[in-house]
Amino acid sequence: MTRHILQVFVYELRRNLRRKGFLFTTFGIPLLGFILFYGYQAVNNLTSQNADSDPAAEIIGSDQFQNINRAGYVDLSGLFPEPGTDLKAILTPYPDEASAKAALEAGEVDVYYVIPPDYLETGDVTLVMPKFSLGQATDAPIRQLILSHLAEDVNQDVFYRLVDPTNIREINLQRDATGETASNFDADFIVVYVFALALMMSVFVTNGYLMQTIIEEKETRLIEILISDMPPTQLLAGKILALGLLGLLQIVVWVTALTLLANVATGNAIPTLAAIANISLPPDRVLLLLVYFIFGYLFFAAAYGMVSAISTTMQEGPQYAVIFTLPAVIPLYFLGLFIESPDAALPTFLSIFPVTSPMGMVMRISITTVPAWQILLSLALLVTLDVVMIWLAGRMFRVNTLLAGQTPKLRDIPKLLGG
Amino acid sequence: MQPDTAICVEHVSKSYGSFRAVSDLSFEVYRGEIFAMLGPNGSGKTTTMRMILDILKPDTGTITVLGGPLTDATKDKIGYLPEERGLYRNVRVLEMMEYLGTLKGLSTAEARRRSQAMLERLDLAEHAKKKVNELSKGMQQKIQFAVTVLHDPELIIIDEPFSGLDPVNTLALKDLLLEFRQKGGTVVMSTHQMWQVEEMADRLLMIHQGQQKLYGAVDAIRQQYALHAIVVEGQGDWKTLPGVERVELTENGRKAALLHLAPQTTTDEVLAAIALNKNMSIERFELAVPSLNDIFIRVVEDER
Repeated sequence: MTRHILQVFVYELRRNLRRKGFLFTTFGIPLLGFILFYGYQAVNNLTSQNADSDPAAEIIGSDQFQNINRAGYVDLSGLFPEPGTDLKAILTPYPDEASAKAALEAGEVDVYYVIPPDYLETGDVTLVMPKFSLGQATDAPIRQLILSHLAEDVNQDVFYRLVDPTNIREINLQRDATGETASNFDADFIVVYVFALALMMSVFVTNGYLMQTIIEEKETRLIEILISDMPPTQLLAGKILALGLLGLLQIVVWVTALTLLANVATGNAIPTLAAIANISLPPDRVLLLLVYFIFGYLFFAAAYGMVSAISTTMQEGPQYAVIFTLPAVIPLYFLGLFIESPDAALPTFLSIFPVTSPMGMVMRISITTVPAWQILLSLALLVTLDVVMIWLAGRMFRVNTLLAGQTPKLRDIPKLLGG
Repeated sequence: MQPDTAICVEHVSKSYGSFRAVSDLSFEVYRGEIFAMLGPNGSGKTTTMRMILDILKPDTGTITVLGGPLTDATKDKIGYLPEERGLYRNVRVLEMMEYLGTLKGLSTAEARRRSQAMLERLDLAEHAKKKVNELSKGMQQKIQFAVTVLHDPELIIIDEPFSGLDPVNTLALKDLLLEFRQKGGTVVMSTHQMWQVEEMADRLLMIHQGQQKLYGAVDAIRQQYALHAIVVEGQGDWKTLPGVERVELTENGRKAALLHLAPQTTTDEVLAAIALNKNMSIERFELAVPSLNDIFIRVVEDER
């Protein structure tokens, strides 16, 4: 009996492991993540090497003005007569708008700014461009000019703080009772989003393949030869085990890649990348992620098995599957709420309710310490639902349904389940 | 049950809801024979085959296959080719054959070795690495048959083996089936093509509306339905022959005539009378045995 399950398992494992789609999602996505990470870092390093070493320049704004090589300005306020040595190469003062316009038309400057007489009261500055260009629509050169003049007499430290008063480091006591783990919104967002997405993507990708193989067997009628060798439930079991293992492999590869990325991101000066370093992946949470993957996968495998049993074409299957997939991703619609108040009533409910719990609980455990009773209750409900779903799938995945040439009507479904 | 029985079906019935697909059916298939199952569409042939293969369970009755109830070990000795058949489309031919071979209990290496040998035999060796959907329909059908016999089964069950095949592939498949029988294998096939049954089958079962209508050796059944008459072609006034009660011209304009004989008259007496009559000559003289097709239509029409 188990021989056939094992043979189907081995075959499906081999066949699906070679799918280009599976290889890309499993290994390609993390690889892409690393490429993007190093690419972003490399570009950033290059930019900062070229940048002025003056920290004031970083705070005031980059002196690399992208698409503006030279700019003119007309100062009608009389506050900024000279651009200063740093900006001389870029900014040219003009006595009036006519001469600035003439310089623009002659191509001597790319754009020019007009600082009105009441600048100090209003803060208004006009930018004149020969034509609209997003790259040139910047206040960077004039901002640098204004700040350097206005801050001339201010103590430099006070000036930096005026420009950038806070550099917040959060301690999330809810996330870590010891209060020792630094966290910030960026990192929390990435963890919640990545974990939830990884879980669901893996569940949907592998179960999508499950559905594809079954419907293909029905479409080609190979199913009749297969079920003349073994009971349909053994065929389904072999497939579910193989694709479940592939899904687990996918999750393990992704979590490993994320851990590696977090390690290489440590100490990174770029804020977004540094946020990745803040991602903490304690083993108990990874274990829970895997547990929720397994039971979440089983729920969908049974659901997809049922859907495949009644679908006759590849177009039909995914349409019916939406009945199960749509409710399961409800927690994603409340992503903000999960991050801000992971222990609020709705996130708690969604993490315990069996259809939404795989995604909901994974989102909560990744940013907060969930009480053990909630995890146990959630798992107990999920396992119960799995048992019910597998029983239903077994009832549905039978000869009469599999060999039927057409999709049963909705009113026939209870008869199929019962008969 | 005789010792040389491959399949024994006893009082088997099967219903789908209120529709009775098979009703109290009993028959035996002997080892080493080609056994044909005949019947109009929806007569219960496929349901019977599926019950033999344990894909469907009968409501009542018993079925024994190769000496006992169907087990996994017995299933490994059977090859099955359903009417609507196919293969995975995006899988390489050799890999596909290997997988289906292992499901029948072969080791992967043995399944590969046999698949390669089979592909060589069918002149398909060069296509081993191709994907199934790159092959022509005829090639795919050959491969389907190859998969059915790959594990060297004792019994093969084929539903409508010749449906959709062109004449060349029909001949090729017929040869393969006859060769399989020659080696001692048992074949159960269902078909609509009566002439194939006449040519190939040793015995037959005709089902109509789930019930057995005819069962036995093909020749015996044809004799059973034979008229007490002779078909002749030639010259002469056939009515003058002693023992001929009625003459019926047949075969649309050809010179053939059907001579209905009196109950006591034998065909030998008629032949002798023709030979002695100088005004008569014959080009053809044979018993008026109906074709299976005629018998099939008669049985079905009698039911109506």
